[in-house]
Amino acid sequence: MTQFDRNAVWQGTLSLMVLRTLLTMGEQHGYGIARRIEQTSGGLLSINYGTLYPALLKLEQEGLIASAWGVSENNRKAKFYKLTRAGVKQIERDTKQWETTAAIMARFLSPAED
Amino acid sequence: MKYLRASWARFRGMFAGRRADQDLSDELESHIQLHADDYVRAGLSPEEARRRAILALGGVESTKEAYRDRRGVPRLESFVRDLRYGGRTLRRSPAFLLAAIAILGLGIGVNSAIFTVVNAVVLRPLPFADADRIVRLWHTPPQSTFPGMRTFSLSPANFRDWEAQSQSFEAMAIYRGGRPSLTGHGEPIAVQSIRASASFMPIFGLQPVVGRGFTAAEDDESAPQTVLISEAFWRTRFGADSSIVGRTILLDLAPYTVIGVVPAPSFLEEVQVWLPLRWGPKDRSERANHNYRAVAKLKSGVAVATAQAELDAISRRLELEYPADNKDWGALVLPLHEDLVGDARLSLLVLLGAVALVLLIACANLANLMLVRTHSRAREIAVCGALGASRGRIIQQLLAEGLLLGVGGGLAGFAAATWGVRWLLTIFGTALPRSQDVAIDSRVLAFTTATALVTGLLAAFVPAWQLSGRDANTVLKLGTSRGNSAGGDGHARQALVVSEVALALMLLIGAALLMRSLSSLRAVNPGFDAQNILTASIGLPRAKYPTAEQQVPFFNRVQERVSALPGVVGAAWIDTIPVQNSGSTQYVVPQGAPPMQDSERPTVAVRMSSPGYFKVARIPIVAGRDFNAGDVEGKPGAIILSSRTAERFWPGENPLGKHVTLKMMSDEPREVVGIVGEVKMGSLDAGIAESETAIYAPLAQFSFGGSQIMIRTSVAPESLTGAMIAAVHSIDPEQPVLDIATMDHVIDESLGQRPTAMKLLAGFAGLALLLASVGIYSVLAYTVRQRVREIGIRMALGAPTGSVLRMVVVEGLKPTLVGVGVGLILAAALVRVLAALLFGVSQHDPGTFAGVPVLVIAVGLLATWIPAWRATRVDPIDTLRAE
Repeated sequence: MTQFDRNAVWQGTLSLMVLRTLLTMGEQHGYGIARRIEQTSGGLLSINYGTLYPALLKLEQEGLIASAWGVSENNRKAKFYKLTRAGVKQIERDTKQWETTAAIMARFLSPAED
Repeated sequence: MKYLRASWARFRGMFAGRRADQDLSDELESHIQLHADDYVRAGLSPEEARRRAILALGGVESTKEAYRDRRGVPRLESFVRDLRYGGRTLRRSPAFLLAAIAILGLGIGVNSAIFTVVNAVVLRPLPFADADRIVRLWHTPPQSTFPGMRTFSLSPANFRDWEAQSQSFEAMAIYRGGRPSLTGHGEPIAVQSIRASASFMPIFGLQPVVGRGFTAAEDDESAPQTVLISEAFWRTRFGADSSIVGRTILLDLAPYTVIGVVPAPSFLEEVQVWLPLRWGPKDRSERANHNYRAVAKLKSGVAVATAQAELDAISRRLELEYPADNKDWGALVLPLHEDLVGDARLSLLVLLGAVALVLLIACANLANLMLVRTHSRAREIAVCGALGASRGRIIQQLLAEGLLLGVGGGLAGFAAATWGVRWLLTIFGTALPRSQDVAIDSRVLAFTTATALVTGLLAAFVPAWQLSGRDANTVLKLGTSRGNSAGGDGHARQALVVSEVALALMLLIGAALLMRSLSSLRAVNPGFDAQNILTASIGLPRAKYPTAEQQVPFFNRVQERVSALPGVVGAAWIDTIPVQNSGSTQYVVPQGAPPMQDSERPTVAVRMSSPGYFKVARIPIVAGRDFNAGDVEGKPGAIILSSRTAERFWPGENPLGKHVTLKMMSDEPREVVGIVGEVKMGSLDAGIAESETAIYAPLAQFSFGGSQIMIRTSVAPESLTGAMIAAVHSIDPEQPVLDIATMDHVIDESLGQRPTAMKLLAGFAGLALLLASVGIYSVLAYTVRQRVREIGIRMALGAPTGSVLRMVVVEGLKPTLVGVGVGLILAAALVRVLAALLFGVSQHDPGTFAGVPVLVIAVGLLATWIPAWRATRVDPIDTLRAE
């Protein structure tokens, strides 16, 4: 399996992953978001779940997500997060930037042609 | 935007408190339950499920920690904690707190007060629109006759030519002052008037608040007599009554119609009424009489140098065109701000430098106090370090304390400054230019805040650096034994003493040089005896006293009445008293002079005096006689020359009986009847220029309605003020008496802001010496306390008191001596700044450079000796037992 430096990816992209997850799944609690990210990464990322909460707080402080207490599907009290309009816009911006970065990197990393 | 929002949220987060913590706990608990539920579904026991869920979270407490850091601003929070902690520690030692705030408050207070004045006078632009484009225009006089004189008033004809031929200016205005008496509105008073061209007010962008301003038509004599009233005067004298416009007021008993009310420009705040120019053809063509002032506004984008070059060219043309009147008369364009502030700028900056030194000394004192205090906390700090506090955190903790002290000192200083500024304005009086602009503004607040914070931090930094760098092990091992003062902060303390002494010495040397200058200035012989003289001015209104026929009897009667007052030795009239740097300067034609251009003729100071003037002023009559009752109009013209005037005109000859024509006033040759001593007409710090050598003519033959009385008294001169006014009013109850002052006061005024600035500097230097000696004393007292055990042992072993005393004093005096050396070197380099302020004393005056160090060392010796002596008084047994 490919060596994968989790930290590097983690720092810059966790926010975008959280936002994307909320976009796909709608309202979700912290645990749910964490599990979903783990699944989507195909098990490549296994999260220390605790690191998710400061990230959520940061997004909330920036006004990209909002939170409210609710009840989970198996009747547990939980804090649910959802995207704000600013959050949706932020996804568009970040996605575009991420794709550009990825494309540039891809050119550098593909085998030389001459 | 996103970041701004997040920052605000984090800032608010700092105050989130317990509810937010509870919210987080709940959220994490719910996370663990949700996760555990999944494990249970997968078949684990509930206990095991919960354990794994917590493990996957990565620990509850560390998550909370990371979350809290994100919620608030951790650095700020720890700083706020440090401030709180610092506040508690300081409250526990109120004596230290009080001393620190007093020292800082004093230092910051004097700085902020002086800065307020510097800010208003030197830094702030004048309060006019486009103030940087407003300039003053001057003549520069021929240096052959007015050596050293840089500026001279303008003559109307030259002004008109400058105005017509120049392109650099948007507008030019000409004006002159007067003192007419205002009657018909209660008590008659003399008012300050300015006669100005219509262009004057627009240059300053000033609009009438009521009525209208002058129009160009009023620059001509065909216009009716009109007057504008200054806003302040309108409020105090006329009760801000708008119906004043259109009414008539009496100035010197002549009627003037009020056409409006104007705000006076701040630098002419004292002006109460404004008169139009109303020049006739004769006024306009006057080229030889220089008695007007001028201001102008440069066109936008025109530099002062450009305007100067243009006026230079015009002046050269005028010299060629009118050589008789204009030979060697040039022009000078000075920014108005520079013109008004003048040499006050240097004095004020020197004062600001002086108080900055005082503040540095205060800061060193505080640093020393903190060093002593933190030394006794060395263990506490070492423990913090041993428990893992980083050096930065410990420094931050100590700096927080410094900051608190800075804030306390700043508040105390600001309070002191608001009072100090008022006091400064009183002692400077009219000698301070732009004093009406002095106020505490946002810049002063910013300066005070910055000074306070920087001083507090600086004072805390020395001990913080010293202590935090110490190896925790060493400090802890030292245990309770305080016998050894660790080397590091011993050096720091000595360095503080060295710098305090050096700074104080520099200030003292500067102050001593200036004080010596002041006493040499005071010691200058003005050519007359200035002590016990009261002076006052009288301006007789033309309407009531149109000619000498009415004026001279008035002067004679006043002289008689005043001379008869008890306490008066004698009284006499002189049209302009000496050392005022004002009065008439005229070219004259001595007997036997070859024909030449008027502008090349010798110029002298011409004064009109009454009989008895030389006796009253104690000016020696070298030869001949004083004027007497026979030298009146209709009799042959008599004059008295000062000895240098006579020597200039007829070197080596007997001047008595020769004649001089005062051509600017009359064509009659006048006979020299006496020769008197030389008198300083200008300022005391200048020599007597040729143009200041004098010719006196009898007031009875040349009366222009205005004169000054000089009264020699046998009692305190100011005590005669009331009796003198009463004597004048017994002759004419409506006649105002102006400019009442003692001659000593007149001399001080003639020195401008210098005496005050010098006295202030001396005060600051004294303050510096006091602070420095307190510093030396406290360091020594502390060092001796540290060595009490050692001293005790020495004395127990039989060392005589004298030798112990000597040891401590010699040791203690070392940093003082080093400080004196450093201070001397710095002072020798820095006195250059003062050169322009010194008079009659050399920059490196040996007396000062030797005397001040002796004084400082003496004070240092005393401050060292007291703690040393106290140490030897302690019973050695006690000190040994104490450990």
